[in-house]
Amino acid sequence: MPFAGESMSLLDGLIWIQRNVDPTLAFRCACRVGMCGTCGVVVNGREGLACRTMARDLLDGGARVEPMRHMPVVRDLVTDPSAFHAKVGMVSPGAPDPSGGAGIAVVDPGTSERAAVDLQRECIYCGLCYSACTVAGLDEDFLGPAALNRAFLTILDERSASADETLDAVANERGLWRCHTMFECAAVCPKGISPTLAIQQLKRRAIGRKLRRLLGRRG
Amino acid sequence: MMYDELELDVLIIGGGGAGLMAALHVLAREPRLSVGVAAKGLFGQSGCTRMVQGGYNAVMSENDSIEMHFADTIRGGAFLNDQELAWTLVNRAPGTIAELESYGCLFDRGPDGRIYQKAFAGQSFDRTVHKGDLTGIEIMSRLKDAVLSTSAQTLDEHRAVALLGEPGSGVSGALLLDVRTGRFVAVSAKATLMAAGGGARMYRIAAPSLEKAGDGMALSYRAGCVMQDMEMYQFHPTGLVAGSSVLTGAVLEEGLRGAGGHMRNSLGERFMERYDPERMERSTRDLVSRAGYMEIQAGRGTSDGAVLLDVSHLGAEFVEATFPGMADRCREVGYDLARGPVRVSPTAHFHMGGARIDSDCLTNLEGLFVSGEDAGGVHGANRLGGNGVAESTVFGGIAGDAMAGYVVGREQPSLSPEQIEQAINELMAPMSTEGGENVFAIRSEIEDLMWEKAGLVRDERGLNEALAGLDALEERHARSPVPPVREFNPAWQEWLNVRSILTVARLTCVSALARTESRGSHYRSDHPQPNDEEWVRNLLVRAEADGSERVWDEEVAFTRMRPGE
Repeated sequence: MPFAGESMSLLDGLIWIQRNVDPTLAFRCACRVGMCGTCGVVVNGREGLACRTMARDLLDGGARVEPMRHMPVVRDLVTDPSAFHAKVGMVSPGAPDPSGGAGIAVVDPGTSERAAVDLQRECIYCGLCYSACTVAGLDEDFLGPAALNRAFLTILDERSASADETLDAVANERGLWRCHTMFECAAVCPKGISPTLAIQQLKRRAIGRKLRRLLGRRG
Repeated sequence: MMYDELELDVLIIGGGGAGLMAALHVLAREPRLSVGVAAKGLFGQSGCTRMVQGGYNAVMSENDSIEMHFADTIRGGAFLNDQELAWTLVNRAPGTIAELESYGCLFDRGPDGRIYQKAFAGQSFDRTVHKGDLTGIEIMSRLKDAVLSTSAQTLDEHRAVALLGEPGSGVSGALLLDVRTGRFVAVSAKATLMAAGGGARMYRIAAPSLEKAGDGMALSYRAGCVMQDMEMYQFHPTGLVAGSSVLTGAVLEEGLRGAGGHMRNSLGERFMERYDPERMERSTRDLVSRAGYMEIQAGRGTSDGAVLLDVSHLGAEFVEATFPGMADRCREVGYDLARGPVRVSPTAHFHMGGARIDSDCLTNLEGLFVSGEDAGGVHGANRLGGNGVAESTVFGGIAGDAMAGYVVGREQPSLSPEQIEQAINELMAPMSTEGGENVFAIRSEIEDLMWEKAGLVRDERGLNEALAGLDALEERHARSPVPPVREFNPAWQEWLNVRSILTVARLTCVSALARTESRGSHYRSDHPQPNDEEWVRNLLVRAEADGSERVWDEEVAFTRMRPGE
């Protein structure tokens, strides 16, 4: 296919094939600017968003493009990410009453805890981390990096009413303790998030809480 | 023809801000109702709410007022707004911000820990609530989390392809197409919400998410909905120009102009001096877009048909810190937003027109509610930046509350198998067509035609040419084949997209032809002035039984503010 210059992405390349070679070539995309998180693929063995993978970086030797891993393939590059999304849903707090009656909390933007959460808050639920995670491939019950990162957001949110409950829901063998700290998720995150970091912090919190409970019981 | 069947109390078509808010509100009011959310793409991921950058207008400061937000909205809309809907918008926006925070959204705070609002163009107060420059992700991710914890059934990649019921009087559900399997699902619903978003992608340069094709408006119109102000199409002044990439048209957010960005032509002139010397770049979107377009048309654009947006004088550090998403987006295609000018073009962005709704979001059709971009009236002739996501979330919630009450005591509607089978036969037809042209090529031609003849600058001759062109394209589309693959077949999906786009494009053109003046985003070079004597009126269009469009106009009810105030 013709190289259309600096601004050409892998997504542009897939569209070119669809328009000029095979109109049935199936891939998923929506926003094309890295916001919707639906165009994830595996390029030359590494997860990436098609819209943010630039063609200029693929000129040497071309690109082998495959569907994301650990999800059933629907057709061509399209996978069914339902299980991934359901796991994120499982650790999300329940929907509160939409009256918004609690009002808007005063939140100091300058605390170190806030800074730690803000870094992790940019997740777009693209599932690249899930595809890259070795454990997610071995154990279908493992919640996976994005879901654990989502739990981290709730647990560290100073406004949250369900922090303890959420920590309980992930401090188990299909959650935090199953992570092998391989940083595969961090390596592929298009938003530069490190779910591993969030998981490590939650592990410390879970241990700290356990110790406090033990000591409390003794005292 | 085989199809699956599903019975729901409430069917929500659209997985964006309006649809998700509606689902949450229905179930908060009546937890036992069965609710389905059908999304064309992945639920909560696709669509345009997620693409919101700058933010959300809401009155949150004692120095601001509901009246000021209202007046800005009405003046911005050149007095065509439905004033009661606009009044509802500005009144409900602050509470909706609180509601979104209760779902876990955290909008940016100032040093005092309170919500920090920034400047957007065309407004008398800095009232735009935001999360950095990628506000939509925050809103949609938390709405998605919230909906996933309810009993709502989410139907990923189920696009609506027909509304079912009695044409012209009532809607009793919809025919959906499961994109993954290619199977049809006939849904019977006591109430149906159309919240599928607009059709700006019918223009060559366009901002929205790629899958959007005006399905919601096309289906509503075909079912007999009264549509209003369909000529009112907003072009955003600063769409990125990135060669032949699909990135072209992606919006660089309004806050860049709000913060003091300059726009220049290829001669280096700040051209807004000629169009709105008082407000300059902080003028409303319609004026800045048209100015940019006219500069490019007059040969004062760059060689690739762009003007320049420059924020480098604000300081590289400030730009990188305030607009990280935008800086990133530019970097990807080889521009340095913080340190030099970026090439931009006006880009088709938002349809102010849409289905006429009442204060409950109910249309003239029993059982059919519409909210978000598919509804008309809130924004009049031009939408203020920051009022779009406010509209989707506020009116999505209102529709949800209303539907929860509406369905009580109603019987499950029965569907007509003949109607369903006829619809399926029409939709399957291209798979048994032979010869004909590639549907993607037809799509490109429509986009070019609309951009040139029915875009930022219109006249009678061009609009007539556009309508004749659309007639011919409609015939070619009817003969266009798609490969006989049902599972996730993009060619088939595109054939369906073109079907919707042709309808919305036609409604845009017939309405634009009827409005013989210039107002808001609608500019007629053969009638360049606003005509307040005759044209502070809404244009309405409805399908006649023979398929032709009936167009008429009605007085705007100035219930709260009169032109000139």
